[in-house]
Amino acid sequence: MRKKLAIVLLLAMTYASFGGIAQAEAPMTPAEHRKLFREGAELWPIYCNQCHNARPGSEKAPYEWDQIMMHMRTLGNFPPEDAQAILEYLKAGR
Amino acid sequence: MRTGCFLITLSMVLSIAIFAQTERALAQDSGTSDAASLKEIQREMRQMRAEHKRDRALIEHLESQVNELETRDTKTQTATEQLHNTDQKLQATTLQLEQTTAQVKTLQAKVDAPIPPGDFSEAFNRYLGSHSFTITGAAAGQFVYDQQSGAIDGLHHASQNTFMFDWEPMVLYRPTDWILFEGVFSAAFGNTGTGTDLSTADFQIFLNKYMTLVAGLYDQPFGDWYEAQSPMWVNRFITAPLPFGNEAVVPPGEIGLQLRGGMQWGKLGQDFDYTVWGGNGPNFSSPVLGAALGGPSSVASSQTNGKSIGARLRIYPLPIEAEMGRLELGASTYNGKWMNGNWFNSWGVDFNYFKDSFQARGEWLESYRQMPSGMAADHRQGWYLQLGYMLNNVNVPQVPNLVNDYLHRLQPLVRYSGVNQRGVATDDIAGATGVGLGGTQVGLVPDFGISGSPALYAPHAREVALALDYWIAPSIVWQNEFDIELPEAGGLLVSPTGAETPVGSVPNDHAFLTQFTIGF
Repeated sequence: MRKKLAIVLLLAMTYASFGGIAQAEAPMTPAEHRKLFREGAELWPIYCNQCHNARPGSEKAPYEWDQIMMHMRTLGNFPPEDAQAILEYLKAGR
Repeated sequence: MRTGCFLITLSMVLSIAIFAQTERALAQDSGTSDAASLKEIQREMRQMRAEHKRDRALIEHLESQVNELETRDTKTQTATEQLHNTDQKLQATTLQLEQTTAQVKTLQAKVDAPIPPGDFSEAFNRYLGSHSFTITGAAAGQFVYDQQSGAIDGLHHASQNTFMFDWEPMVLYRPTDWILFEGVFSAAFGNTGTGTDLSTADFQIFLNKYMTLVAGLYDQPFGDWYEAQSPMWVNRFITAPLPFGNEAVVPPGEIGLQLRGGMQWGKLGQDFDYTVWGGNGPNFSSPVLGAALGGPSSVASSQTNGKSIGARLRIYPLPIEAEMGRLELGASTYNGKWMNGNWFNSWGVDFNYFKDSFQARGEWLESYRQMPSGMAADHRQGWYLQLGYMLNNVNVPQVPNLVNDYLHRLQPLVRYSGVNQRGVATDDIAGATGVGLGGTQVGLVPDFGISGSPALYAPHAREVALALDYWIAPSIVWQNEFDIELPEAGGLLVSPTGAETPVGSVPNDHAFLTQFTIGF
């Protein structure tokens, strides 16, 4: 019975999770971009330097930062909003 | 036309007046010569007729002129209207021309202006397509000088001078914004030949904001070192701390599934994160005491029913606005069965703190391996404490700026690490690197990331490592490390048959390693 309940819960969580993926986020306004950039500039030296030297945004192309920040978000378990702010800052570094 | 009527009326009035005058003259001068009067009258009448005729001709001429003028006036009016229309059209055309000129100017300004980075980025991304990949990773060349003064009882020892090279590319492939594939491949040329290894290969599926599923071969999420500190350009030292080196306390990797994520619980910087995972479980090189933990690709772990579960929690208590630095506190556990029925349990705690140029990190971990046939548990402990200080804010007075510039790139570090275990298996020492050279004690020669010192295999190994890193760029570094091995006496040497021999004392040792590393 417990096993069945656990499976149902797991399936429900998975369903809810994928539902979350399907929802497209509204495009940001320039003001929101600027706010995110400022937050990213504040977080970048803190979050990156806790494991390795913070690398400047100019080192990689924006599309590469998209991938690298996905990798780092997984590895560092970053809060998603913070990962997005750092990505905004790095991509603007071009 | 009006002028003609007026002239006709005028001539008639004149005729009537003349006629009346004639009647009066006839009445007055009736006594004079009627004939003369008549002639006079006739002459006057002829004259009047002639005048009348001239007047009529004049009137007709004037009428024709009036008509002509009227015709001209009409034509002039038509021409004026046409001119007005043409003027309006011209004005409209001029307006259009002005608008077109303004548009051309705007376009010209856009053409002349540099392309905004955002627009260029979007256009470039469209050009690259929705599926994209990139290669990161690291490469390093290394030289090790190991002056081995002695060996563990009866085992080989020698001084070693060795150049090595290692290349570890990481491929990231992103088919959508919620799926990422990551693969790390290692190709090394070491003292015992070349070797290749698949370090990680996994899918990362972002289920939602706070939950990511990782599936595949991955670094053990236990503690900080395997996941976060093992890449060559990230590790401030060339070697691994003893608990994560050749006598590991927990397995270095796993094949299985992870669920992980993080969230902010307080102010900015106050985060919490979790990782839970399950996999094929631990495996060992042999069932004897002290046997080394196998890697995740070992068949021994995948072919048993004993799987593993693990969990790791981290918390960051300091908000960024407090400007007190970044503190990370973590706890991990990893548990599983090996050989189908024997438990392996481990736990550990770790911390990482940095503020400005100072950084400190450390871990404590411990494991218990249930042994078959009622043998006492294989109990291991490991720890390390590492301190470093970047000299980027240190300015020596009365020294040329060039010297200070070099100084700012230096980072001195010190690390103390140790392992306690009941025994070590002699087979592991002989085959620790195992690239070619079967039967020779290849574990006791340097390989990439280890000095090959016999002291590393002591049951109670201790090491002080001093390092001086010179940072050329954030991910390009020339590292220098001096290892002082200070093993303590005690523990057992265990043969492949399980025969146990007390180790006794192990000579101290020291080694120098230098490495040039590029993270890309």
